[in-house]
Amino acid sequence: MPREIITIQAGQCGNAVGSAFWQTLCQEHAISPDGNLEATEEGTDRKDVFFYQSDDTRYIPRAILLDLEPRVIQGIQNGPYKNIYNPENFHVPTHGSGAGNNWAAGYAMGENVCEEVMEMIEREADGSDSLEGFMLLHSIAGGTGSGLGSFLLERLNDRFPKKLIQTYSVFPDTQSVGDVVVQPYNSMLAMKRLAQNADSVVVLDNGALTRIAADRLHIQAPSFAQTNQLVSTVMSASTTTLRYPGYMHNDLAGIIASLIPTPRCHFLMTSYTPFTSDSIEAGKTVRKTTVLDVMRRLLQPKNRMVLTNTTKNSCYISILNIIQGEADPTDVHKSLLRIRERRLATFIPWGPASIQVALTKKSPHIPTSNRVSGLMLANHTSIATLFKRIVAQYDRLRKRNAFLEQYKREPIFANDLSEFDDTRAEIADLIAEYEAAESASYLEGPTTEREPPRGGNDE
Amino acid sequence: MCLARVEQTIIRECPNATNFDQLHPHKIPYQMDPQDDRVESALSQLIDHFLPATEYEDESDAEARQDEILERVHATIERHQPTDTVMDIQHLGDMIKKRLIRDNTSTDKAKKFSSLYTRLLTQPVLSQKWGALKFLLELSGSREEGDRITETAAPVNSSIERQENDEQIFSMAFSGQGLHRLPVREVPHNMGDPESRIGSQEGMPTKSDLLAARGDSIDPSEQVLLSALPFTLLGLSSTPLPFNTSPASKYAVSFPPSLPLPLVSLLHTLAEPSLLYKSLDDFVHGPADGVDGGGLVGQSLRSAIGNELRGYVELVGGLESQIRRAVAAAERGQGILASGVTLKRCVVWTREATMGLRMMSLIVDKTKRQKGGQLISSVHRFASDHGDPFVRAFAERILAQITRPFYDMLRHWIYEGELTDPYVEFFVTEEAPEPVSQTSGNAVAKSQNDDAAAAAAAAAAVAAAATTTVKPGATSVWQDKYHFHAFQVPTIITEGFAKKVFLIGKSLNFIRHGCSDSDWVDEYSKSTSKELRYGDTAKLEMSIDEAYQTTMARLIDLMGNKFKLFDHLAALKKFLLLGQGDFIALLMESLSANLDRPANTLYRHNLTAQLEHAIRGSNAQFEKADILARLDARMLELSHGEVGWDVFTLEYKIEAPVDVVVTPYSSKQYLKLFNFLWRIKRVEYALGSSWRRFMTGARGVLKAVDDLVGADWKKARCVVAEMVHFVNQLQYYILFEVIESSWGDLQQAIKKPNVTLDDLIGAHAEYLRQITHKGLLGGASIRNGKKRTASDTGDESFLSQLHEILKIMLQYKDVVDGLYGYSVTEFTRRQERDARIEARTTQGNWGVRETVRFFTCLKYRSIFKL
Repeated sequence: MPREIITIQAGQCGNAVGSAFWQTLCQEHAISPDGNLEATEEGTDRKDVFFYQSDDTRYIPRAILLDLEPRVIQGIQNGPYKNIYNPENFHVPTHGSGAGNNWAAGYAMGENVCEEVMEMIEREADGSDSLEGFMLLHSIAGGTGSGLGSFLLERLNDRFPKKLIQTYSVFPDTQSVGDVVVQPYNSMLAMKRLAQNADSVVVLDNGALTRIAADRLHIQAPSFAQTNQLVSTVMSASTTTLRYPGYMHNDLAGIIASLIPTPRCHFLMTSYTPFTSDSIEAGKTVRKTTVLDVMRRLLQPKNRMVLTNTTKNSCYISILNIIQGEADPTDVHKSLLRIRERRLATFIPWGPASIQVALTKKSPHIPTSNRVSGLMLANHTSIATLFKRIVAQYDRLRKRNAFLEQYKREPIFANDLSEFDDTRAEIADLIAEYEAAESASYLEGPTTEREPPRGGNDE
Repeated sequence: MCLARVEQTIIRECPNATNFDQLHPHKIPYQMDPQDDRVESALSQLIDHFLPATEYEDESDAEARQDEILERVHATIERHQPTDTVMDIQHLGDMIKKRLIRDNTSTDKAKKFSSLYTRLLTQPVLSQKWGALKFLLELSGSREEGDRITETAAPVNSSIERQENDEQIFSMAFSGQGLHRLPVREVPHNMGDPESRIGSQEGMPTKSDLLAARGDSIDPSEQVLLSALPFTLLGLSSTPLPFNTSPASKYAVSFPPSLPLPLVSLLHTLAEPSLLYKSLDDFVHGPADGVDGGGLVGQSLRSAIGNELRGYVELVGGLESQIRRAVAAAERGQGILASGVTLKRCVVWTREATMGLRMMSLIVDKTKRQKGGQLISSVHRFASDHGDPFVRAFAERILAQITRPFYDMLRHWIYEGELTDPYVEFFVTEEAPEPVSQTSGNAVAKSQNDDAAAAAAAAAAVAAAATTTVKPGATSVWQDKYHFHAFQVPTIITEGFAKKVFLIGKSLNFIRHGCSDSDWVDEYSKSTSKELRYGDTAKLEMSIDEAYQTTMARLIDLMGNKFKLFDHLAALKKFLLLGQGDFIALLMESLSANLDRPANTLYRHNLTAQLEHAIRGSNAQFEKADILARLDARMLELSHGEVGWDVFTLEYKIEAPVDVVVTPYSSKQYLKLFNFLWRIKRVEYALGSSWRRFMTGARGVLKAVDDLVGADWKKARCVVAEMVHFVNQLQYYILFEVIESSWGDLQQAIKKPNVTLDDLIGAHAEYLRQITHKGLLGGASIRNGKKRTASDTGDESFLSQLHEILKIMLQYKDVVDGLYGYSVTEFTRRQERDARIEARTTQGNWGVRETVRFFTCLKYRSIFKL
């Protein structure tokens, strides 16, 4: 009973990220590009969370690849890992024109492909013993990933109300003007679905990714392949506890439960360190990596994969550090003490919170030069500032009713533009929720509940 | 003739002490003379002069006697090697000067001597300056001076003593370095040639002569006493000197009442060796006293003493022949006095023997109640600590004999791992066989430990009150089969050394019996066994060190490779300490439905089926079959009204010989840990499943009824989040900070080179102790000492608090589930209502009024706030 996770890759960005992700997973599990196992020893990892075995014992990813234009998927189908995917799990119109960076178009096209796609998902779900949930990879700026993704989120919610839905959503760069002028519209509309229909959203800010690539890896104009690799590294790291079972956090629910106290605040940000040449091409060699180094760097805003403006009120709702490699628990303990002494992380005032740590093994199949690497999954209230920026950009466009024509053509906006207003209200609520979480009175007055003692690790 | 003169002079001057040794400095110049012939002729002339043939004896007798004397003189001369004396002319000069100053009031003579002395030193012609000076000094000085010189200038060589004919037996028996200082030591020299005394008759009469001259009036005469003496010395009654026959005062001899007091005192002195001999003889031949007759070591002590006594008997034999000769001579009319054999002389002759007898009697006395190592230690104390070299040498000799059985046992022990010790003398003892059979490793547990085990199981069952009466008493073959007794370690080996020996033998024995690898042991003992003997300490240590390393390496190798100790430890961590996360999660999930039911509805086959399922579904399936076969799911003894969660336990069976490390006690600790961790895991699981329900519900059902229960859900979610956080942190602490880091320590300890099985046991015990103690299970029962009660209650209350919290969490989870249920009902009610409204609206009627909702709301609130 592996608690399977089905990955859905939607759109250009989602498929590109996904293909990098599967490549990383295959390397970590020593699965060759044709799906055969390269290493013989068993018993340390669980491949069946993300893969299943075909009759000829090849490992096949539990992945569904969707796009409305064939370019990226064709790239995958001609790439080195082309044989690993189940050919029935591709959905791509042979002469599709794509959604044209129009959320509404993507959403509307979802209706057309719905039956076929849901059939694929059902098939994959039936092939799982104990389906844990879904992982959606997409970007929210464009048309397909954003629109089709939103559509799928709604459908999945209806069809699998009890399964977890996690998304890895690439947010547009909000600092500079993107190449898609309507991306604020698309982002807002997709975010509404992310807020309402997903259980956990890992926010990957394109701006931050570019900046990290520039700062950390010294690449001035990072290619998509490089940023995708950053994302896939984060994704593989965040799933290590599922793939290499240890004492704790062996299922997706276990990870998310420790991060998300209230359903609305489920937008997670990540940091990863160190990016080295092992995981990222042209990554620079980082000095010594001790547990303390890693944990401290994880808390630095410049390593976060989201660009946010931290105010003095913003705080962590929760943190889970996934430390890979030879980390001595006593070192971790010391580092935690150090971080607490230095007050490197501020937490919500209304509940107990602390840095939670999961220690996991490293894949034995990938040689790495650094001893320890770490991923931070954090629920931080400052993510609201990212939403605010998107809302501000949206408002600027919306005030002038710019570029609305193409949206009005689609059925959802056929009658009126109330969907935009709903979305605007929903996101405002979300921002308000995060801001409320910064205050001590979040729980609305004194609680009558008896509080369990805080902190279990006092010796 | 020079020599003759000197000898004569000395003999005349000190007629009582014709100590040849004291004369030796004079002889050295001659000894160094290369012209042996000259010396030879001078000697025979000298002997001729002093011992002219008497008219009583025939030619051949005289010849033989002269030859004998000549030989003796030769021997005397030969034994004085030039190295014997330090020919320190400076010293001699100083001495002469001092004496001149002392004897004369003025220093004129001394000054004159000084100038003469310097001139002498500068003379190149004279080679024997020291000898000449010495000779002159001797000539001028008194005997007393000579003595002093001898003492200062002439260290003696003990080995020479052995060359002397009559003394041979004697010295065999009692030789020692310090012997020469004893004033009696000249006695044996005279024994050989009592007749030489005749020569001395020409000079001043000796004291004994004088005494003997008056002895005629004594009744019984000294002659009678003398002839009875050998018997007395051998502890036999004789007419003049009968032993008491009453058993009460067996060791008493009575003297004729008519004897004069001096003679009685002599006889008293003579009675000492005789009584000592008698008692020792009784000891040697008599019935064994003490426990087991002193065992093998005691027996060898007896035989050693018996040997020594034989020496004494031979001495007495020699004495007897002397006496007989003297008596015969006396009968021929020469008179006992002439022979020089008197009671007093007998006293002197037996002096040294008496010392030896005393010594033995002391040893016998001291070791009366001792055996084995203690006995050896007692004797060894004489050999090592005693200041008297004579005593030391004597004890050494005894020791060499009595340690033989000890070394025999040692050899058996360290080369074969077998204890051949019928009298329990070795410092390792075997536990008396238990009434419980030793067929299986666990069966060795004492019956009281079984009780404790039951108590422990019960305690584990009620983990909330994790009090336990189990003592960390080891119950394994390894620790119980053999015992080390420090007091039995003979002082000839050090304690640390003995410990090593103990370990070696134990390991060998364990390899043979516990690990059933006797082939190796046989091979080993065949290839390495060698004789061990007292005295060769360096070699002994070396061979023991060697044996130690070989056996330890073998034992660890066996444990690691044949019995997979390390695999078992890893498996214990994986399964009982939840290291195999996916397995535990799967087991938890598949069992949860079962375990929610009351304990008495559980069936063991269900549990094992689920276990099997969990193994197959997780990475545990890749474990070795042997390890998986040891894994078992079972129920603890159930008491009434418990649910399955309380009684379920996983078990990992440990068999001999691995149970030496993972003792039954440790297994219990593991079980306790498992139960504790399982309990936490269960809460985590329960909270997780609840969380999953209401989190996914938030996307649909709960969102729809947000207006009604939204605020409550928010509160409930935050509380649950707090609980999840708490449980996660608690788990993280126990699993990573406690178990993982202790595991790291354990790995380090067992990976050390030259690790011994005891180290392994210790490391594992420490590992468990760390885990149980830091793992909040209260290591109090493991710690000993006074702090126990205090910390016990402290840990107790903490642990029970923790259990209470966990219980509250489960209750809260139920309440939240109730809230969820309520929300869902509300949701469906609304849907139905909406449907109804829709239906009625389509029929053209107005919608329904809401009355029911208010009541349900009230009802729900009362439940939730409880």
